Amino acid sequence: MNGFVWRRAVAVARKEVYHILRDPATLGAALVLPVFMVIMFGVAIEFNVKNVALAVSDSDQSQSSRRLLDTFGSSGYFLIHHVSSPHAGITDVSAERARAALVIPPRFEQDLFAGRGAEAQVLVDGTDNSTVGPVLGYVGSIQNMASQRIGGFDPSPPYEIRTRFLFNPELNSKWFVIPGLTVVVMSILSILLTALTVAREWENGSMELLLSTPVLPLEIIVGKLAPYGILGIIAVVFVYVIARTVFGIPFVGHLWVFGFGCLLFLITYLAQGLLISVATRKQTVAMQLSMMTGYLPSQLLSGFIFPIASMPAFFQYFTMILPARWFMLIARDTFLEGSSVLELAGPFLALALICGLMVFLAARRFKRDLEP
Amino acid sequence: MNDLAVEVKGLSVRFGDFYAVNGISFTVRRGETFGFLGANGAGKTTTIRVLCGLLRPSEGLVSVGGISFDHNEQAVKAKVGYMSQKFTLYNDMTVEENLNFTASLRKMEKATYEQRRKELFDFISFDKPLNTLVRDLSGGTKQQVSLAAALLHDPEIIFLDEPTAGVTPASRSRFWQLIRQLAKRNKTVFVTTHYMDEAEQCDRIALMREGRIIALDSPEGLKTAAFSTPMLEFDPRGSLSFAEVSAFARHDVFLFFEPYGLRFHAAIKSEDAWETVRNGFEKNFTIKRIKPSLEDVFIQIVEGKAG
Amino acid sequence: MNKTLIGFIKKELVQTLRDRRMRVLLFVMPVIQLTLFGVALSNEVKNIRLAAVFDSKDTVLRNVYERSIAGKWFIPARSSEQDPFTMIEAGDADAVLVPPPGGFTRALGRGDAKLQLLVNATNVVQAQSIEAYLQNIVQQTVRDDLEYTPLPPPIRISTRVLFNPSLDTSVFMVPGVMCMLMLMSTMVLTNVAIVREKEMGTFEMLISAPVSRSEVIYGKTIPYVILGMSNVPLILGVAVFAFHVPMRGSLIALFIASFAFVCTAVALGTLISTYCKNQQQAALAGFLFNFPMIMFSGMMFPLENMPAVLRWLSFFDPLAHFMGLLRNIMIKGGQAEYVVTHIVYLTIIAVICVVASFRRFHTTLE
Repeated sequence: MNGFVWRRAVAVARKEVYHILRDPATLGAALVLPVFMVIMFGVAIEFNVKNVALAVSDSDQSQSSRRLLDTFGSSGYFLIHHVSSPHAGITDVSAERARAALVIPPRFEQDLFAGRGAEAQVLVDGTDNSTVGPVLGYVGSIQNMASQRIGGFDPSPPYEIRTRFLFNPELNSKWFVIPGLTVVVMSILSILLTALTVAREWENGSMELLLSTPVLPLEIIVGKLAPYGILGIIAVVFVYVIARTVFGIPFVGHLWVFGFGCLLFLITYLAQGLLISVATRKQTVAMQLSMMTGYLPSQLLSGFIFPIASMPAFFQYFTMILPARWFMLIARDTFLEGSSVLELAGPFLALALICGLMVFLAARRFKRDLEP
Repeated sequence: MNDLAVEVKGLSVRFGDFYAVNGISFTVRRGETFGFLGANGAGKTTTIRVLCGLLRPSEGLVSVGGISFDHNEQAVKAKVGYMSQKFTLYNDMTVEENLNFTASLRKMEKATYEQRRKELFDFISFDKPLNTLVRDLSGGTKQQVSLAAALLHDPEIIFLDEPTAGVTPASRSRFWQLIRQLAKRNKTVFVTTHYMDEAEQCDRIALMREGRIIALDSPEGLKTAAFSTPMLEFDPRGSLSFAEVSAFARHDVFLFFEPYGLRFHAAIKSEDAWETVRNGFEKNFTIKRIKPSLEDVFIQIVEGKAG
Repeated sequence: MNKTLIGFIKKELVQTLRDRRMRVLLFVMPVIQLTLFGVALSNEVKNIRLAAVFDSKDTVLRNVYERSIAGKWFIPARSSEQDPFTMIEAGDADAVLVPPPGGFTRALGRGDAKLQLLVNATNVVQAQSIEAYLQNIVQQTVRDDLEYTPLPPPIRISTRVLFNPSLDTSVFMVPGVMCMLMLMSTMVLTNVAIVREKEMGTFEMLISAPVSRSEVIYGKTIPYVILGMSNVPLILGVAVFAFHVPMRGSLIALFIASFAFVCTAVALGTLISTYCKNQQQAALAGFLFNFPMIMFSGMMFPLENMPAVLRWLSFFDPLAHFMGLLRNIMIKGGQAEYVVTHIVYLTIIAVICVVASFRRFHTTLE
């Protein structure tokens, strides 16, 4: 056996490209999927809690109680509907018709005018604890506003906090989600398609045929993976273009830094896909495994939506072995913060290490199984 | 009772604009071993699929086992056994589990099934444990178990679509012994193949090309029909250059002159013409008169039609 | 019962369960994953790295900082940088408190205390929580330190959190993860099981027997409904015993809801499989459906935040209905009307999928 011959790798790659091109459904899905996901989530995702359904039981029916309701309504956070009793309000919360219930007692106006202080109660659904915080915050500021408007009371504290939101001054959810989507999209395309395509060759027995030719295992790997790498890169370009043009998301970093991160991440996942397929040799198992080791972690444990800092200490360390965690950092940073490569040295180093390790493991396993 | 197992009149199968099978007609008698010969894509598999009730004909009349089916595939399916090109056993199940499943597809009674399974295992001389995984069987055994699965419900007509593709020559001849035994039991066997030596063993052969039947007869009949004149085999005395060979091949005394291993097979147009040029050839070849092989027939017919 | 159906069920179960790896993936992995994600995932923002710029005389700001660190949300940021912006840009801190010139304490005395809070807003959810947490802490600290008690406002709105007063994250996350795992082990598995037969050519053998369309469809789906349902007690056990998610509603309602969902997921998988030619396509299609289904289920963000036009999308998402059902039954005890309505919705989706599968499914080859 002699050394690596590019021509043979290219021949394998050409075969793989034919496979992909002959299968317009896969190609279509691979290219349409990212576009579809970005547009869908760009339009749909919103982390700022609003449209909170509020069931109101107003037993006072006075001018003051109505003005209190106006304050809730005009805040823009609540969608109000009336119910007959406090009990009905709670039923609405149980039946998911309302996320909170406002109970105004009968002597609300009387208490207010008598100077005893009027009291109302908000019951919040604690099931989704992520919405409870914001809702309680809204209620607090409405209490102040209502006191001011209805009770002529100025509660302003002797200080003022001015918050400056860096990198995303308007707290736009899209700016947060879409750069992260590049990671999820790539994790789906690269790891899954690779794992399946190689496992399929095993199942069909065509891998043995390939190996019986003078093609080296390394040439097979490179040839089989390159087209999927390119597919992954095309998908990222799509996501990038849509993010910039359709959703106007800024990109303040260097493109080459982002591109380099993409490449490292892609190679890591291609290698992981290969490792899975060599180890399982069966498409069903390969698929389940790539879902569990590639797709789920990059969606759930990468910091895409659920912050890593909030995880228990063990998981904060555990997620360090996930390439998606590091690429997520790089993607978000290059889009919104624009740090230099030096400042991103940590994530890059980690990603490179994992990448090297994965390629090493995949190559060794491939060699051990295939070379006589 | 009808003596015909299969009756096909003007059958066409169209996929879009493409005619996979184009207006073929033929009949197969009960107990006959009927061969289907042709290149890949000639329409053999498509025809078989129609006959098994797997595909609906676009046009034409088809009657299998006396049932003419007009959207009544299920009745046909019950009468026939089918073994397709690929090994259609589940690799990840045992022999027993595979056969159990086949039996349940055919809704067989447990007792009948077990009786039948025993017979079939005797028939194919299967002696491995029943709980062997199919993936651990050799190609030849796998194919015999496939046959047993296709025969499980004791069908009158058995369709075998390239049953011997990819197995060893020893297994092939063993498999054909089984086919001959089936014929002895008065089963109709309908088989497609690439192998000429297999086709020789059929009672009758239909030759398909581009969706049409271009010849249909017994092997002997085909040979006589294709070659009214004798066939010669040329064994070169020394090595010949390409130019020399093509010069011989173009000689207009031949109907054709084709390589056959290291030798050449040729059919001559007439004895008289041959006698005039014979001496010229004998310098270079040892020449012997032979009976044409089916392969020669195949070439002659296909070349003839193509021309 | 029909012989063919029984044969089918046996065969599918044998094929799925023979492979040891598949058994592990089906029964052990969901438990591990639920535990893993249940422990790891939280939508509560914690461990925020906070820095504050103050000198020794600025006691109020120091108290704010110390109080923050003493609470459960903040941890001190370590940075060699001095400039607050650089601290955030370098990724050393998530938030920095910057007092007005002369310190916050003295500015409070002057009456124009403007405290700046710099937040890294790359993560929107985190940024919002940081602001809310700090507003609260500053208010408390200023009140205590200046011994300033604001006048009671004339209107007071007291708040009470229902069903999960301690705001335990796992109460929310665990049912979500349960649904997600059940989706994966049903829809995708069914889809692949059918497509595999087509790809391997065994499908041809199957339909060469006189089997009816419904025998094939039910034969291929019932086993996966069984497998899916067998997962329910397993992950329910983990949720209730390991994560102490309350189980306030009736178990029967929960099983009916799970059954409706598993049937829907299996039916959807069957429908998708009729469009796929090989396993690669099936897997891709699985993801194509999986990802949006999870996103629109309400697990990642509350559905009412979405634009109204898109909210109808979640109506078609079986996962959204099931997640709602699971939470409602487990945490709220199951409000009859809600439970019935959503089980009906699930059933409607399942019936549509089954009918569509029947139309697309043939016992002849195309």
